[in-house]
Amino acid sequence: MRFSIAVFLLATLKIMGQEQETPLDSVQELKEVQVTATLKKKIETAMKMNVSVDEFLASSDNISFIKRGAYAWEPLLNNMGMERSTITIDGMHIFGACTDKMDPITSYVESNNLAAVDITSGQQGSSNGATIAGSVDLKRKSTPFSMQPNWAGTYQTGFELNNEQFYNQGNMAYSSRNFVAEGSISYRKAENYTDGNDEVVDHSQYQKFNTSVGLAYKTGDLSSVRVDAIFDVAKDVGYPALPMDLWLSRALIASATYKQFFEDGIAKVWDAKVYYNAIEHYMDDTTRPENLVHMDMPGWSTTYGLLSKIHLQKNRLSSEVQLNAYDNLSIAEMRMYPQDRSERTMFAYSWPWVTTQYAGLSVNNSLEVSEQSVVDFGGSLGVNYNHSKYVDFNWIFYPGASQEKTRWLPSLYAGYKHKLDQFDFSIGAGYGHRAPSVSEGYGYYIYNSFDRYDYIGNPDLKNEVSYELNASAGFRSEKFSLGANVNYFYIQDYIIGRILSLGSPMNYQSVGVKGYTSLDYATLFNFSLHSSYAITSDLHWKGTLAYARGMDNDKGNLPFIRPLSYQTSLHFQNGALGIQTTLNGDFEQEHYSPEYGEDLTPAYTILNLSADYSFTLNTYKTVLQVGAENVLNQYYSTYADWGNIPRMGRNFFTSLQINF
Amino acid sequence: MKIFNLVITVICIAAMMSCTLDKTDYEAELGAVVTDEYEFEEALSLSGNGYQISLEALNGTFFKGYNELRFNITDTATDQVVPNANITFLPVRTDADDVAYSCPHRYELAYEAANDHYLGYAVFDHETAADARWEVFLTITIGDEFFSVQQEITVEPQPNMNLNMTAFTGNDGGQYYIALIAPVSPGVAENELIAGIFRYNQPEVAAGDFPDPSQFSFSKVQNATLLLDPRMPEPSMGNHSSPNNQDLIQGEDGLYHGVVNYTMTGNWTLNFMLQSSYGDVIKGTEVPTDFTPGVEGEKSELHIDILF
Repeated sequence: MRFSIAVFLLATLKIMGQEQETPLDSVQELKEVQVTATLKKKIETAMKMNVSVDEFLASSDNISFIKRGAYAWEPLLNNMGMERSTITIDGMHIFGACTDKMDPITSYVESNNLAAVDITSGQQGSSNGATIAGSVDLKRKSTPFSMQPNWAGTYQTGFELNNEQFYNQGNMAYSSRNFVAEGSISYRKAENYTDGNDEVVDHSQYQKFNTSVGLAYKTGDLSSVRVDAIFDVAKDVGYPALPMDLWLSRALIASATYKQFFEDGIAKVWDAKVYYNAIEHYMDDTTRPENLVHMDMPGWSTTYGLLSKIHLQKNRLSSEVQLNAYDNLSIAEMRMYPQDRSERTMFAYSWPWVTTQYAGLSVNNSLEVSEQSVVDFGGSLGVNYNHSKYVDFNWIFYPGASQEKTRWLPSLYAGYKHKLDQFDFSIGAGYGHRAPSVSEGYGYYIYNSFDRYDYIGNPDLKNEVSYELNASAGFRSEKFSLGANVNYFYIQDYIIGRILSLGSPMNYQSVGVKGYTSLDYATLFNFSLHSSYAITSDLHWKGTLAYARGMDNDKGNLPFIRPLSYQTSLHFQNGALGIQTTLNGDFEQEHYSPEYGEDLTPAYTILNLSADYSFTLNTYKTVLQVGAENVLNQYYSTYADWGNIPRMGRNFFTSLQINF
Repeated sequence: MKIFNLVITVICIAAMMSCTLDKTDYEAELGAVVTDEYEFEEALSLSGNGYQISLEALNGTFFKGYNELRFNITDTATDQVVPNANITFLPVRTDADDVAYSCPHRYELAYEAANDHYLGYAVFDHETAADARWEVFLTITIGDEFFSVQQEITVEPQPNMNLNMTAFTGNDGGQYYIALIAPVSPGVAENELIAGIFRYNQPEVAAGDFPDPSQFSFSKVQNATLLLDPRMPEPSMGNHSSPNNQDLIQGEDGLYHGVVNYTMTGNWTLNFMLQSSYGDVIKGTEVPTDFTPGVEGEKSELHIDILF
């Protein structure tokens, strides 16, 4: 039903090609101010024009992934999982509906409805909500108003040989003086991929449909309203590393935004948004006849929220004040079927109707002390309220635990940036709290197929408190650049699963029960070095080296910490022709954590190659790309591959992009 | 603007559309096999000597297992409730061989002034069968008036497995009965588990006139401990158990109270070991804690199966 409406809406937009660039109107001339951030501008990596959101994020220095298959990778920011970072879409909070983290937020968008991804490390990212690791904000495409009516569109198609992935993506936008309508549609279908030993990895197929619409209307010279919606459906998605697959996941993400610019005074822009999103996620194990128990595991997550952001500027101080509030209800059920199907099924909630309400006020300031130096400082104060409707479930392990819990979540940070000729330096510190996630607080027998334990949440866990230091130094000349980033987190009451002497596993594959508990502290250290060099005007080199170390209070290793890793690439561009090659890999994972199901992951190196050519096809700007990933057909799995599932072997890909 | 309105309408409609699959109605789920709608209704009405005796049981039916019983006596002439009578109650089962047995019961009923009724109970250990019948015998003393009544009753199968009972011969040779009393309708939760533990008192004197209460005497077992170990017997559950259970110990009401946690709905086995006040095991065996996926869980020789 919804599908057909979306198609209809897109079809009503007439296709009219137009090459000419239209001047921007007054609204767009006022620049948005990015207080802090590394903006990833275009959703394509150096290697590949058409990428999934996951692949795109993977090309960022401080993002790594836990992979459970070919689809829906869980992003790790600064080597910390989703609970420790805030992942938002245009500032909107969305929470996955899967207890097994099979549906990170990034799986509900598509590369052709995103414009950029805004990654902020540490407490500077607390403006969207309490965080430890930082924030990842996915920015949706937003076509500006134009002086003359203008149509623009992009069509992109491609094929990948290894998993027979075929995709089609289309974007269309109409803009005029006071009205903008835009839409995108995308469909991908992939079969099982083969690993470096040319063996098929079963249950690695997926299908994803995504569409979005956006409408903006100028309500005055300096104000506009905009409504947006994204509708995403994934079907028949295999998770080779898990004992079940996905039958269907569906997300509806809708928002309405009002934006007001001010010509005079200290207030520059005011942005207010209300939003709603509903996510459904239904797992399926009927494709796994080897499973002893048939189970249904549906999950639902519904969030309402509002966001109000005002940007102020006076002299050398610019500030952003943001109010953020949301209400989320997370529900996950499990129903196990006895071998004799005539018998009574066994039912329990893995998320017993857990409500999370959050309201927070944050202030980010940037003060230009001199031409060379800037001081950033800010903080936020949030109040986080949780309620478990069926608290009986939580009382089984923690008798008398609180059904309701209110937590205060403060955050503070300050940083100093200095530029000296070709050098720049920065140093900063942060302090912040986060509340336990729904699973950490209220999860009930959530099976983790990595360490094979059932996890139990504890409603009375303490806030996790982070003390953070960061620094960077860089040098840039016309041809050469070199930079280093380092950050260190001391996380007090670090939440992690520890074996409980209580209870027994519920899932037949499980070996025991772990409860989320607070370690006294844990420490995390991240370091990255990046460099670039223009060998000639056509040939550019780039390289990155990253290292991280995470330890608990007994000097034991934390899980999912990336070993020493590197990436080096060469990019050749001559007129319409571009050729790039990258070599990336991890060293041996020395510091693995057997306690969390990790084993020593050997080193690997992957070589990728691609070439693209731009030309005009009947006046349309067209880009053709061909390439190969894992050219040497290495058999490998990374430190974060769930259950050591092998990654894809050699993969040839081709894609064609036509811009109207 | 038209498209604008249209899209807003579409978004609103889409937002209100229900999910693909419905969420489970948890209350209905819990009530699927066990109804918690129990009310005391008249199960039996007797008359004698100008008095009307009404016997109330849950849902107006006698079930196998523990039955709480409420008796009312009214003077038919004045239609007044009679307080402070002495009533004795004796259920007797006669089998195909004409042998008479009884079951744990309260012989001398207690008057409860607040509710104007007399309280008793019976733990019927068998259902009425084609060749075996149950009768209740009552004696009533009101002042100097004395009379007795008797009536055949029907004991129905217990529809609620959470009120199951078991009867066994202990290692000491005694005849024991354990009957579940609560929870009537358990949840996936900590449930207060209440059981009655009874023992048949071997008669020390020869039988007198039938029915001779000395031949049919039972008492609550005193100061014992009922060790509890709940498991899910379903093969695919691999001998799953639950945490934080508490063994049953005797409360002031003479019944045994403990805590059982059910981690999910379905079939559960309450494995017991009955320990005397001296610590001797009267009945029951320990259950292995091994994780045995695909194998039906082992049970103690003393256990009660429940289902909710």
